[in-house]
Amino acid sequence: MKRVLTVALVLAFFVLSFAAEKYVYFDENTPYLGAKATGKPGGTLIAPQLGSGPKTVNPIVAQETSSTAVINVFLISLIEMDNYARMYPALAERCEVEVTDDEKMIITLKIRKGIKWSDGAPFTADDFVFSLNDIYCNPDIPNDMANLLEDSQGRLPVAEKVDDYTVKITYQEPYRLAVRYAAGIQILPKHIAEPWVKQGKFKEMWTVDAINKKELVGLGPFIPVEYVPDQFVRMVKNPYYYKKDANGQQLPYLDEYVLKIIPDLNAIRLAFENGEIDVYGVTAQFYPEIKNKAKEKGWIVGTGGPNFGTTFVTLNFNCTDPVKRSWFRNEFFRKAIAYSMDKDAMIDTLLAGLGVAQWGPISAAAAAFYNDDVLRKYPYDLDYARMMLQLGGFSWDKDGNCVDASGNKVEFILMTNAGNTQREGTCNILRDELAKLGIKVVFTPIDFNTLVQKMTATGDWDAIVIGLTGSDEPQGGANVWKLDGALHFWNYSPKVKNFVSADIYEAPDWEVEIDKIFRENVRILDQKKVYQMFSRYQELVSEHLPLIYTIQQNYLYAYVDKLQNLEPTAFGGMLWNIDWIWKK
Amino acid sequence: MLKYIGRRLIISLPELLIISLMIFLIMYAAPGDFLDQYRLDPSVSPQRLKAMEEEFGLNKPAIVQYLTWLKNVLKGNLGYSFYYRRPVSTLIWERVAATLILSLISLASSWILGIALGVFTALKKYSIGDKIMTFLAFGFVAIPEFFLGLVLLYFAAKTGWFPISGMKSVYYSSLSTWERFKDILWHLILPATALSLGSFAGLMRYMRGSLLDVLNEDYVVFARAKGMPERVVIFKHAMRNAINPMITFLGFSISGLLGGALFVENVFGWPGMGRLVYQALIQQDMYIVMASGLISAVLLVAGNLVADILLALVDPRVRLS
Repeated sequence: MKRVLTVALVLAFFVLSFAAEKYVYFDENTPYLGAKATGKPGGTLIAPQLGSGPKTVNPIVAQETSSTAVINVFLISLIEMDNYARMYPALAERCEVEVTDDEKMIITLKIRKGIKWSDGAPFTADDFVFSLNDIYCNPDIPNDMANLLEDSQGRLPVAEKVDDYTVKITYQEPYRLAVRYAAGIQILPKHIAEPWVKQGKFKEMWTVDAINKKELVGLGPFIPVEYVPDQFVRMVKNPYYYKKDANGQQLPYLDEYVLKIIPDLNAIRLAFENGEIDVYGVTAQFYPEIKNKAKEKGWIVGTGGPNFGTTFVTLNFNCTDPVKRSWFRNEFFRKAIAYSMDKDAMIDTLLAGLGVAQWGPISAAAAAFYNDDVLRKYPYDLDYARMMLQLGGFSWDKDGNCVDASGNKVEFILMTNAGNTQREGTCNILRDELAKLGIKVVFTPIDFNTLVQKMTATGDWDAIVIGLTGSDEPQGGANVWKLDGALHFWNYSPKVKNFVSADIYEAPDWEVEIDKIFRENVRILDQKKVYQMFSRYQELVSEHLPLIYTIQQNYLYAYVDKLQNLEPTAFGGMLWNIDWIWKK
Repeated sequence: MLKYIGRRLIISLPELLIISLMIFLIMYAAPGDFLDQYRLDPSVSPQRLKAMEEEFGLNKPAIVQYLTWLKNVLKGNLGYSFYYRRPVSTLIWERVAATLILSLISLASSWILGIALGVFTALKKYSIGDKIMTFLAFGFVAIPEFFLGLVLLYFAAKTGWFPISGMKSVYYSSLSTWERFKDILWHLILPATALSLGSFAGLMRYMRGSLLDVLNEDYVVFARAKGMPERVVIFKHAMRNAINPMITFLGFSISGLLGGALFVENVFGWPGMGRLVYQALIQQDMYIVMASGLISAVLLVAGNLVADILLALVDPRVRLS
């Protein structure tokens, strides 16, 4: 039923998008997520938190998942995403977007009536307007969210209260991600946060001490009430949470949600086997064993599609050695490397068969933008690789060594961060394959920090295997793909990094075109056009290979069969719908 | 005596200063800095990175960073953690109790067992019991404690008798005092065992050797010849002399009270200082590392002083002046 509704919703959206001017993202007839759920109240769910506990519970100070994992449970937004990154109404019941004749974009949101904060205070449009204008868009409070809220000219939105339950957000130009980010801010309680903002001390509000002092107030399903450093965070059901299930039962079902802090992946696995935690994000190497024990132990074990994020080989276009630079800038050379990559062997040996080959910059997990048809693929074939090298002007000397047009032996250093077994394995396989082509690769795993320094501060590297995180939204990679991006590491602009000399810098046409796509797509509201632009981007990257993509692990999960209503995906993880998960 | 203590304390000040400078230089010379973990994250903007560099003072010259830290330490402020954005002293204070529980219990058990079994094996030299204990002792000395910890973890996971990680169960706050005590004890057994076994074995060997040395001395032979009961010979005459080197070891053990459990704490998820420091080392969260290094140095100086004083009390031949 939910699927049908979503399809209807998406269709309605496309139909309306051709009418231009006015788009209704959702209205009062769209139920919130969980409205169709059934279950029994009670119980405690214990989930692992890798590494360390929250550093803060203030949403603009928070940087690590250990902090946001706690914040996301008690601070929520007007809208929410389901496990496939589709937008649904949450605290708002209607959202419409209008583009005026003078090209301004106005988002009107209707807030559900009768919602209360966890301390019993009423939730109104004032809270939202205060959060957007006085916190996230406040120039005195620099924060990461502000970057996402800006339109293409760097202008921030302004929120206005129409009445107690209606807000209007105005942008100076159409901004594709406006609803997602501006309506998606985590709303803070005005009656508590306002004094902090007025005194200019908002960053000091809600340090982790606030949990034990019971100072936290939110609209989310659970409120953190106890934090024992490096041990666990205990969160209890919010009695005022706005959702009810199909039978009118107040959500969430669970009484308590506990994040148990465990220092490393091996200990998490043991804790799951020992019954100390209820869910476990399995790593590929342990998956077969966990799967075998599932029946006997009463676990549900499964695999979703590929994860977000990408892993790739990058070659330094601005290498200080002019000979190496000419190889790395040679497209045929990069294609030869792509053809020599035995991805099936990598998936089998490094991921126990639980992965997919990647050919482009967007992971297949980002279903709304991934376009398999435009991707140029390079199946493993050493003859093709040799052909590419020949086309690129390379040949072989009598000992079988690959040499370039001026007779230099092809030899370079490949690095990755030591300790990451998957990346180290990729390097080893690649080195062996390239050796068959007469290319000598010296593989040196080095410390992560040193690697980052080389990439971003000194530029003295040849080739590196590394990964980037990704999300359902390709624009998240703007920092990587814009020509002046801070992570455009394979071909930094001399304006960004002074270790790149302006005399050697070149930006090929296709790089310029990708740069344009990342600058322009945010102004276009028509999803179809945006899809086409990002398809072109995937095509360009897979054709010219600035980054040579490798493999990606599938999303793997395991949980105890007492838990009900779980629908794990790579986007949502296991606990995206913690508000209607219940325990038998 | 007081004069002696005062002089030792004054000498220790430049020692501590040099130690802190060395820790700082090592941290500074290590490649990269705390912000590297954010530099490859597409969602962190360059402006934000710059702002953090400014906030943490990482853009200032090394000597300025060190002197600022030193000035703050003299005022009683150990600095701020970059990662937690909280004062280092509160972070350490929150974890001191957990570490002390673990290390004091394992210190006590390894000393009691080590000395008792050391005396036993020395007296029953070359008996079957001695040989078994010697074999075990060499084994435990050779096995690194983190490995012993992993073996115990595996044991816990297979049997399900002990918890895998942590110091308290998540229901701790709803338990009665007696149940709380039992809960912590239940969590404590494995890490304390892992921590004690290694040091117990070493202590036992030292005690055995030291007592055997003394037992061959003329005055022991003389005491026995006089017809003294064996118990008096051993415990009143031999032990008193054999214990001297052990007291020196006790001084070193004190220095390890807060930092010695680093590996075991990480293996068992014990919420003590070791975990904090390990994480800080990995992330180059400089001031946590410096504070913990300084604390260990202070404990080492204090431990040595305590050992010297105890030595003077136990052995009338030693004069402190």
